Amino acid sequence: MRVWIKFAKESPMRFLSHLDLLRVWQRAIRRAALPVAYSAGFNPHPKISFASALAVGVTSDGEYLDIQFAKRLDGAAFERLAETLPQGLKLLDWRQIPEATPALMSLVCAAQWRLTLQAEESSHLQEAVQNLLAASSLPVEREGKKGIKTVDIRPLIYGLEVEEKEACLRMRLASGGEAVVRPGEVLKLLSLPAAEGRLHRTELYLASGGCFQEPMAVLLN
Amino acid sequence: MVNYKVKFWDMILPRVQKPTRYLGNEVNAVVKEHSRCSVKVALAFPDLYEVGMSHLGLKILYSLINNHEQWVAERVFMPDTDLEAILRNEAFPLCSLETVTPLADFDLLGFTLQYELSYATILQMLRLGGISLLALSRGEQEPLVVGGGPGAFNPEPLADFFDFFILGDAEEALPQVLLFLEQNRQLSRAEKLFSLSRITGVYVPSLYIPEFDQHGCFLGTSPLHANLPKQVQRAVVVDLNAAVYPVKFVVPYGGIVHDRLVLELFRGCTRGCRFCQAGIIYRPLRERTPAKLKELARELVRTSGYDELALSSLSSGDYSAIGQLVTELGMELAQEGVALSLPSLRLDSFSSQLAEQVKQVRKSGLTFAPEAGTQRLRDVINKNISEADLISAVTEAFAAGWTGIKLYFMIGLPTETDDDLAGIAALVRKVMSAYKQAGCRGKPRVTVSVSVFVPKAHTPFQWAGLIPRDEILRRQNILRQSLRITGALFKWHGVEPSLLEAALARGGRELSAVISRAAELGCKLDGWDEHFSFENWQQAFRDNGLELAELAARQYSLDDPLPWDHLDSGVTKAFLKKEYGLALAGKVSQDCRENCLGCGMSLLLEGKDGKGACHDARLD
Repeated sequence: MRVWIKFAKESPMRFLSHLDLLRVWQRAIRRAALPVAYSAGFNPHPKISFASALAVGVTSDGEYLDIQFAKRLDGAAFERLAETLPQGLKLLDWRQIPEATPALMSLVCAAQWRLTLQAEESSHLQEAVQNLLAASSLPVEREGKKGIKTVDIRPLIYGLEVEEKEACLRMRLASGGEAVVRPGEVLKLLSLPAAEGRLHRTELYLASGGCFQEPMAVLLN
Repeated sequence: MVNYKVKFWDMILPRVQKPTRYLGNEVNAVVKEHSRCSVKVALAFPDLYEVGMSHLGLKILYSLINNHEQWVAERVFMPDTDLEAILRNEAFPLCSLETVTPLADFDLLGFTLQYELSYATILQMLRLGGISLLALSRGEQEPLVVGGGPGAFNPEPLADFFDFFILGDAEEALPQVLLFLEQNRQLSRAEKLFSLSRITGVYVPSLYIPEFDQHGCFLGTSPLHANLPKQVQRAVVVDLNAAVYPVKFVVPYGGIVHDRLVLELFRGCTRGCRFCQAGIIYRPLRERTPAKLKELARELVRTSGYDELALSSLSSGDYSAIGQLVTELGMELAQEGVALSLPSLRLDSFSSQLAEQVKQVRKSGLTFAPEAGTQRLRDVINKNISEADLISAVTEAFAAGWTGIKLYFMIGLPTETDDDLAGIAALVRKVMSAYKQAGCRGKPRVTVSVSVFVPKAHTPFQWAGLIPRDEILRRQNILRQSLRITGALFKWHGVEPSLLEAALARGGRELSAVISRAAELGCKLDGWDEHFSFENWQQAFRDNGLELAELAARQYSLDDPLPWDHLDSGVTKAFLKKEYGLALAGKVSQDCRENCLGCGMSLLLEGKDGKGACHDARLD
């Protein structure tokens, strides 16, 4: 039975690295006595993967796991799992998906982010955001294995707005495979300090029927 | 009241390298409301989280205390350098993990004394916790500071810093201590300590004074009052099956040194290796039943989510039902995807059958410990292992599919000669040829790990000294030359940490000032190469008119009073003397399951269950 699980990673679990987080989930799944399917081969490993890695220090309530279980599970099983998670990890939702669905990781195309603003920041940010959106290209330099290369991130910024009432900056940025914008890159262009402690990922999106769809809602067949 | 937790989590943790090791909210961590608790204990391990969390003793005490509704135990480890600097610079006190409570707010602060190289770290933790270093200058409001573990069998170097020590099994003594503290809060520190000294296993150093003659020669340590025992007796758990076992392991977020479940099969060892302190101070042999172990294993797996369980003991292969246990438990756990590992196997207990069983669950590394290169020297140390045992064990292992093994030796054992060193290389060559005889092609990987023998209190070799520094280097060099064998990898230990370990292991109260000075000079986490500063330690000794190397090499004569003579491990000094004599004569002693050697342990147990003999239970 293949399942997508939506979960939140709240403080203090924001300090967990990607590897630590995987270990925490694997142990929680074992405590809940849910049988994960293992890959075949000489060195079998459990079929668990995340939709998208999250930087250490960042919180989120839009994280996803893609798990293949060895047998059918009912709602009670997922309740057990939710109960055994450490403080700061919350199981928000789960759904069964068709076995042949591609890996969730390969389907994700965008992420929604929220940066909490400090009082003095939000007032003059409005203009900077408008300028950014008005630009025809936004070249940023990235260091890769083959040296520094320049990427135009303007087409990969799907949304950017300041919410003065809530004192936050909302960003919808490409997030999948090659086409990815890191929140820090946008913040740098806006002359905002990189601040993991204030950054929050609210949702991941898949592209379906020409629009952004949440993994828990998207139609799969 | 300062909200330490909010400040620590919000202002301090985001600035440190590995915050997860200071969160304290791991699965199975116990959080209690302090106002509802009658006794609050901080359990301190004087090393980093990753090391301390791998230690079974800490887990046992954590459960033992927290199982009691009105007692609370919280953990504290030495912070890494980044957090330590923040704590010092911002005058934020060292706190427990679970509720971020300053150490000074606990009733009892317990340190485990696992290795001498952690002693300076203890002082750093006291200092960071804002607790007076000297026991005698602690105020009424400060916690009582207690030490336990193997180091408590010669705690004299730490005597100035501890209010009391617990000798032996804390499962037996600690509940009595806590019960007393719970019921006698109104008493002064001195009154409490005096009363605590009546509990078997409790040693209050301020109630015992070392005496010296007019030349300054040590005469022994005596009680201050006539109604105190001349020797403090060790606490012993008689029935291990009935003792608390920590079935809810606190599950760390990040990797720790031994990141797996541990099941203690038995306590004690009957082999009688003459260099081994654990072999003496954990006597007698006490086994858990296979039924009890299986029940514990199921519970451990269920509550933790770990996928590996190590069967642990001083010599796991000696467990009387080892074959049955590994087969049955291995099969049961394999169904849940949990692997079984057996970290400490003796050569002569490694059968082809056991090899097959261990291999089925996980092909982990195999380590064998011949300890010495020749039969002569193995007889001296009473490691009753023959070359044939080794060759047959490695042949079985190679035949079962292992391509690499690790061999463990010591240099500097009493009576060692260059012939014994040559014997190590000769043995390694034979192990190499065993690979071909087992039908394997190519060369196996043989790691030869050689440490320096450090004599320990309460062993037959307690009178011997560490060999001098130059001699260690010369012997290591001989091995480096002779172990240039294709496929063999020689690993050796640093000389300087061994010198310090030796100097601290058999010293007396004169060392308290040295440790205090070393901590002042910044010594800490000395088990880590990157922190260890031999220069600072040498200076600390010199500043107190002592020479580190001399103390390390110090030989006691058989008639000398020893700094730990007033502490009774249950094994008599007469027995240790006899064993030392046999060692020097190259004569072996039997495994005491075959024939009681009269070590004295049965006397200590007499009256406890009326039986006397140490292992009657397992021989029926």
